[in-house]
Amino acid sequence: MLVENTQTQMRKGILEYCILCVIAKGEIYASDIIAELKKAQLLVVEGTLYPLLTRLKNNGLLSYNWVESTSGPPRKYYVLSPEGRQVLEQLDKTWQELYFAVQTSIEGRK
Amino acid sequence: MPCKHQLKEENNNRINFNIMNKTIIININGTVFHIEEQAYELLKEYMTDVKRHFFNSADSLEITTDIENRIAEMFTEILAREARQAIIDQDVTAVIEQMGSVKDFENAEEEGSAAGFAEPNFTMGAGATTRRLFRDPEDHLIGGVCAGIANYFDIKAVWVRLFFAVCFLFAGTGAMVYIILWIIVPKALTRADKMAMKGEPLDLQGFKRNFEAEMSTVGGRLNELRQDARPLAFQTRDFISDFFHHLTTFFGGAGKILIKVLGIAIILACIGGSIAIVVLLCATWFFGGDNFSVPDTFFNYAYINQVRVAFALLAIIPLTTLVILISSAVFNTTGLNRSAGYTLLIIWISSLGILLYHGSRVASEFRDSAGFTQTMNLKPTPNQVYYLELNETRFLTHEDSTRLNIKTRFNNMVLTDDDDNDDLEPNSMRIEIERSDVPYPVLVEEFTSRGSNYEEALSNARNTRYVFAQQDSVLKFDYKLRRLDNKMWHGEEVKLTLRIPLNATVMVNDKINRYINNSMNLWDCSPNPENRNNRTFSPFVMTTEGLQCKLDSAVTAVQEPPVQSSNTPDTVIVVQGKRNTKLTPDTIYLDSTEAPAPVRKPVVIRKYRKK
Repeated sequence: MLVENTQTQMRKGILEYCILCVIAKGEIYASDIIAELKKAQLLVVEGTLYPLLTRLKNNGLLSYNWVESTSGPPRKYYVLSPEGRQVLEQLDKTWQELYFAVQTSIEGRK
Repeated sequence: MPCKHQLKEENNNRINFNIMNKTIIININGTVFHIEEQAYELLKEYMTDVKRHFFNSADSLEITTDIENRIAEMFTEILAREARQAIIDQDVTAVIEQMGSVKDFENAEEEGSAAGFAEPNFTMGAGATTRRLFRDPEDHLIGGVCAGIANYFDIKAVWVRLFFAVCFLFAGTGAMVYIILWIIVPKALTRADKMAMKGEPLDLQGFKRNFEAEMSTVGGRLNELRQDARPLAFQTRDFISDFFHHLTTFFGGAGKILIKVLGIAIILACIGGSIAIVVLLCATWFFGGDNFSVPDTFFNYAYINQVRVAFALLAIIPLTTLVILISSAVFNTTGLNRSAGYTLLIIWISSLGILLYHGSRVASEFRDSAGFTQTMNLKPTPNQVYYLELNETRFLTHEDSTRLNIKTRFNNMVLTDDDDNDDLEPNSMRIEIERSDVPYPVLVEEFTSRGSNYEEALSNARNTRYVFAQQDSVLKFDYKLRRLDNKMWHGEEVKLTLRIPLNATVMVNDKINRYINNSMNLWDCSPNPENRNNRTFSPFVMTTEGLQCKLDSAVTAVQEPPVQSSNTPDTVIVVQGKRNTKLTPDTIYLDSTEAPAPVRKPVVIRKYRKK
């Protein structure tokens, strides 16, 4: 239980960062974000993404454009807002620090 | 953003002949799908779960719309890929798998809260089993207050309602308390509120139970669910809109008859009031106000008819409007149209303006004041005893006396003014008794009046007549100051100062005492208290300290004034105050009520003498 909890916390901690990273590559549709995240084995179901996207959008980190689709209703294509870009830069820095911290910690453990 | 986000079931069911399953046409945010009944049930269940999961989140509408859109897209892709017409349950299962079940969402959210991303959903977890006071929007007669209280105490709502109904009988306390509670107690808007109201635990099992209970009681209330998904829209509904909402339902329901009866009563009252005003105004119009106990002096204003019309309109227009509005509400007819309403409003404002104009005009005629004094020496009597009497004779103008045929109809009778009018007439005469420096009585008459300027005021004061008569020892004071023309009253007054020599005696009765400023206690000074009436004279003697009661045999001996025995008033009348005699009445009817009742003296008709 403790193990699971720590795992999910670690996963959750980087989830938003990863989402921002994916979106930073360019305008992207929600299911494509999912595809990327699935590839990274971070998220398994789409449904959990939508609340996160909505929250990030409400916090002003994202914005979206409606794009007409040939298959079904119009799609929301997400992009990073300037603010989101700033936040991402900060997160990048934090991630480098974390990476360094983790690397330093596990160094010579073997 | 697409407008519709709910699953909309359309009526026409179709038969799919290949596998003989019934299909249903659904509309997901504008995209139409054929879906098999079984698959539809599955999808509906899933979407209900999803909406229930997100309904308490501020972004529930957006999130569920995103999910629905994505589902629609996936369906479209599946149908295109597999070249099928209808969605089957395998498709729905696949979509749900990809989208994730509610359990997956829950896990994600648990992670979220563990990592500090707490959504506001379940922050009330600690107070889950304690009940909170809300107004119950599902079980309400008026505002849901009683049902809310009943939920709070876990009793049946009918007892609370009964309690409030009984309280209402005590001077409406119940209604008062109810309205206050209605204002301060929040309405249970979200499901979490409703559950807190009923003391259900605020966990997912509780939600599920609550939801299932609702679904079972009100079957298929997807509509309600949609409303639940928009808490913000509900939060904007304030007390007022709520109140009117319930008021209209009340109007449409049990209170309808009561309201109608009340409305009809108000209409009848308004019509009655209008009729009364019209009758009163017509009456004063035709009869000049004389017959209606209203001081006619106020009706001698030059533009009185304008004032009457304006007053009538001022009073009747609101009453009529009220009648029309209430009748339109009660009888469901069309009310006043806009232009008629504006016309009435303009007329009403104009009447108000006219009244204000004339009011200020009249007020301006009271701006300044003026007066003059006139002194006359009275004939002293040998024993220095003076009887003060009030003259209540009614004076008629020549026209009036001929019109009313006074001489023949009221022969041998005396016309006196009715006492009842005294309260409404301006009290225009006052008497002050002082000590005289000379050995004979002196009467000083001071006439004052108001006017728009000094000259006007003085002219108004001169335009009056005061009748004072001395008959030996009897001093007859007219009970009021009279105007000589038909002008409006301007506060004309006469102040009489009667100066009597030292040791002289004045005999005063109740009737005249009302007009005397000196405070004299007639009751304590009555010669025979057992048998006194308002015509019984009490003796007062003038001393160096002023008037003092003097009850001795010498005075009580002369109880009746000597004039009563003389019975010849026409020989001794002295008429004073003959200023501006232009419109002087030529007929005077003198009071002789001092005489024993059966013996009536002949009416004295006397030509008014000019100086």
